[in-house]
Order: sequence, then structure tokens, then C-alpha cells
Amino acid sequence: MTDTARKLRNGVGLGARHLVYAAIAFVFVLPLWWAIVSSLRPNGEVFADIFPFTAKALLPTPFTLEAYAGVFERGFGMIIANTMLVALVTMVAGLVVNGAAGFAFAMFDFKGKRIILSLIIISFMLPFEAIALPLYTVTQQLGWLDNIAALIVPSVANGLAVFLFYQFFSQVPKDYAEAARLDGVSWINILLRIYVPLSMPTCISAALLLFIFQWEAFLWPLLAMPSQQFKVIQVGMAAFQQQYQTIWNQLFAVSVITALIPIALLLPLQRYYVQGLAGAGIKG
Amino acid sequence: MTRSRSPALLIAILLAPALVGLVVFRLYPIELAISDSFHNVLRGQQLFVGLDNYLALLTDSAFWNSLQVTLWFNLLINPIQIALALGLALLYVQQFKGVTFYRVLFLIPIGVSLPTAVIIWRIMLSQDGLVNGVIGMAGVPAQPWLTAESLALYSIIAIATWKGISYWMIFIIGGLQNISPEIYDAARIDGVKPWQRLVFITIPLLRPTLLFVLVADVSINFLLFAPIFMLTQGGPADSTNVLMYEAYKSGFVFGDMGRAMAIVVVVVAILLVIVGLQFKLLSGPKEAR
Repeated sequence: MTDTARKLRNGVGLGARHLVYAAIAFVFVLPLWWAIVSSLRPNGEVFADIFPFTAKALLPTPFTLEAYAGVFERGFGMIIANTMLVALVTMVAGLVVNGAAGFAFAMFDFKGKRIILSLIIISFMLPFEAIALPLYTVTQQLGWLDNIAALIVPSVANGLAVFLFYQFFSQVPKDYAEAARLDGVSWINILLRIYVPLSMPTCISAALLLFIFQWEAFLWPLLAMPSQQFKVIQVGMAAFQQQYQTIWNQLFAVSVITALIPIALLLPLQRYYVQGLAGAGIKG
Repeated sequence: MTRSRSPALLIAILLAPALVGLVVFRLYPIELAISDSFHNVLRGQQLFVGLDNYLALLTDSAFWNSLQVTLWFNLLINPIQIALALGLALLYVQQFKGVTFYRVLFLIPIGVSLPTAVIIWRIMLSQDGLVNGVIGMAGVPAQPWLTAESLALYSIIAIATWKGISYWMIFIIGGLQNISPEIYDAARIDGVKPWQRLVFITIPLLRPTLLFVLVADVSINFLLFAPIFMLTQGGPADSTNVLMYEAYKSGFVFGDMGRAMAIVVVVVAILLVIVGLQFKLLSGPKEAR
């Protein structure tokens, strides 16, 4: 008797629990869900079924892909390609540059190492937004305004990525490198043949950090590309929002495209992304 | 020994690109902001004016207003985000069938960039939008979420919180998972109540994680720009005019880079003070070791 009662109580408890969790998850998912649904509706139907609110507001009826077609007709394909280019070049160059620096810090002792390392830590403690305005002046002095270099080059060297590689490479037993050195293997080959294959998780973390950083960049591309000839996605979206305020379904389509690309990357790889970000906090 | 000889040229080649990048694009801009803030930088001309840009801020009501807005905004948003993230983490760290599914749903806002979240929420919060529709079910009249002076800042807090908390929740879940379950078992045997468990065990043991989250959250929110730029341009009636937006306006709308840089320096100085305070307050007892 008491056994059944307990089972029943557990069952009710689990049900109540699921109810609470589902309600919270609903709040998290609802905005993106509504965006997806509305991007698949004709523009005139986006606000249908909301006053009074019915569940039909959360279903893509009537269904149409015209918003996506419209978005690409307005050149959003180009904007996505631009952003991909910036993000991928930054990612590849960033892995090389920051990985090399991390390797040098981990493998060698040299004069001023501690000072340089603290400079690197300072450089990532201060969020990028804080220096965006003065960075504009630097870019102007270099003559890089409206040049794609202004979007890529300043983001390649990343203190956090250097630090991640440094931390990881320091943990690799020194014997590996020493044994290889005695066999006459060059440092570059030690880095490429031993350290890089070992550091794949760190490479993924750093690559995600660099990619997402560029994908989400807003203030900097806004300042660095005054003519907006070369538009990246976040700035393109903001401009789109101002220009086509009432083409709701296209606004939603743009948002959905912008969101789904990083989500597709992050869902399978989020563990690495979090590890990368937490790298900044680990030493604390 | 030969193996400990450091090849200087190799070190230089490995380090140079990253170091040059960090010096030119991270450290030099900080120096430049400070030096420009002592200059009158109008139309390419540079005139040393000493503290004039700062002194002008002292008597500038627009600046004081945006300082007030920024501080109020941060006083609200950071505790809200961290309390919610902690609460949700405590819920979602529990093990039961199906919890992974909810965790995946929770991750979705992380992938949605802030500008994207802003666009979606702008439409959700519009007069005919989903939020007004849902509260309409309860008989609450539609609200002008983004256009009323009394609501706009709080709407931005809601948007940034939706976007931000799952991020912080992940860190806190990580911290919670590092706490050994034996401590809780022992507490249960001693008859410690759930809320006491939270206040006397969980939060103290979570201190390093919370400190990291708090510092990172404050730095992000202190420099928040995209939602203001995209939604309200500081309005209505300057109610959302945070310091970063005021700096942007000075430099890029009114072309007064000296004033813009002075504001940037003030923002960074306040940020450093807040972050320093957080370190002192939250890591204090640990320093004793």
C-alpha cells in the first residue's frame, strides 16, 4: 500500500517537475520559435492570432518561404558570405598566431616572459567594446577604414586564445619535446607533429571563440566600415531593421538565418566553447 | 646542456605576430584613449587642452544623466541575471530523466547574438506583438514596452537577460558539479534545511565561480551598446542613454573625439573600480590562506 502511494507521489512529483521545467524552457525557446514560425508566414499574417491570442500564432500557417526568397534578393547572401570570410580568416590566422605564441610561452624561458604574459592577460581582461572607439583612431592612422583588413587583423591576436594554448601546452610533459630534440627533430616539427595533434580540444575552443566573436561583432564593424560597402551580418541586420521596419517576416528570416549558423556550431561543440571561456576564470 | 638553450630567433618569430597585434590593437588604443581625452580632437586637428574635456563633463547634465542611467541599469541587471542564472542552475543540475533535453533548449539563447535577439524582441514587444498578446489573455492592456520612458530601460534589461542568463547558468552548473556530493549528504544527515544548504554550503563553495561570472557579467553590461543603438538611440527622453552610447554619440554623431575619449576613460575607470571591489568582497576570506 505504502509502496503504491510512494510510487504515485514520485510520479506526481516528476510530472510537476516536468511542468515547471517545460514552462521555463518555453520562455527560453519562445522568441526563437516565434521568429522561425513568423519567418515562414506571409508578411500580412505575422501578427495574426495574437489578439486574442490563440495557439495558432505559434504555427506556420499559412506556410510560405517568400520571406527567405526576399531576404536573399536583397543581397543577404553576400552579407553572410562576407561574415563567413571574415570569421573564417580570423579563425585560421588566429589559431596560427595565438597557438605559436602559446607554444613559445610554454616551451621556453626568456627575459621579460612574466611581464609579457601579464600584458597578454590585461589585454583580454578589458572587453573589446571598451577600446572600440580608440581603435577607430588607430585604424584611421593605418588608413584601414572601410578596408576588410580593419575587420580581420585587430581580432586575430587574442589574449584569451594565447592564454588557452599556453595553459594547455604547459601541461604536456616536457619529456616529449626533450626526447624529440635529442632525436634531432626541429622545434617547428615538434610543434606541428606532437603539440598540435595533442591540442585538438584547445584548438576547437579557440576556433569557436574567434569565430563566434566575429560572427557577433557589431560595434566594431559599425565603426570600421563607415561607407558600409562591405557589410557583415550583425550590422547588415541592424540596417535592415531600420530600412524595412514593416517587412516583419523578412526581419524574422534574417534573424533566424543569423541565429541558426552559430547554434548549429555550438550545440555539438558547446563543451569546448564553455571550456574556452572558462579558461579566463580558471586561474582565479 | 644543449637542450635548455633557448633559440632566441625562434621565440621571436613565434611571439611577434601575437604580441604586435595585442600591442597595436589592444594596448595602444587604451593609451590613445587616455591621451586623446586630454586633447581637443576636432576635424583632424589636435589641440592639447589638459583636463578641459573632463572638467566639461562635470557640468554637463547629459553626461550626469547617462552616468546615472548606466549605474542604475547595472545595479539592476547584474544581480537579476546572476540570481536567475543561479536559480536555474540549481534547478537544472538535478538529475532526472529528460533533464538533458531541457538543458539543450536552454542553450538556444547563447547562439542567438545580441543584435538578433534585439530584432526578435523588438517585434515581440511591439504594440501588436506576442508579449502584449500573451498578457492580453490575462486581461492586461497592451504596453508601449520600448517607447515609454518608464519602460524602455526595463525592456532592454529583459532582452539582455534572456540573451545572457543561459550563458552564466552554464558556468554555474559547472561550479555546482565541482562541489562534492558528500558535503550535501553529511548536511542532510545533520538535518540542515534546504535554504541553509544554499546559504551556508552552496554559495560559499561556489564563490570562485560566482566571482568570475559577476566580473564578466558586469564588464559586458557596463559596455552594452547594440540594444541601445538598435532600439532606442538613448531615448525616450534619454531614459536609456548609457555612457557607451553617449560616448559613441559624441565621437561619431557630433565629431567630438576628445569628449568621446574622456567618457571612454571614465567608463573604463568605473569598470575597473567595480571589478576591483568585487574581487575584494568576494575573494576576501580566501586570501587568508
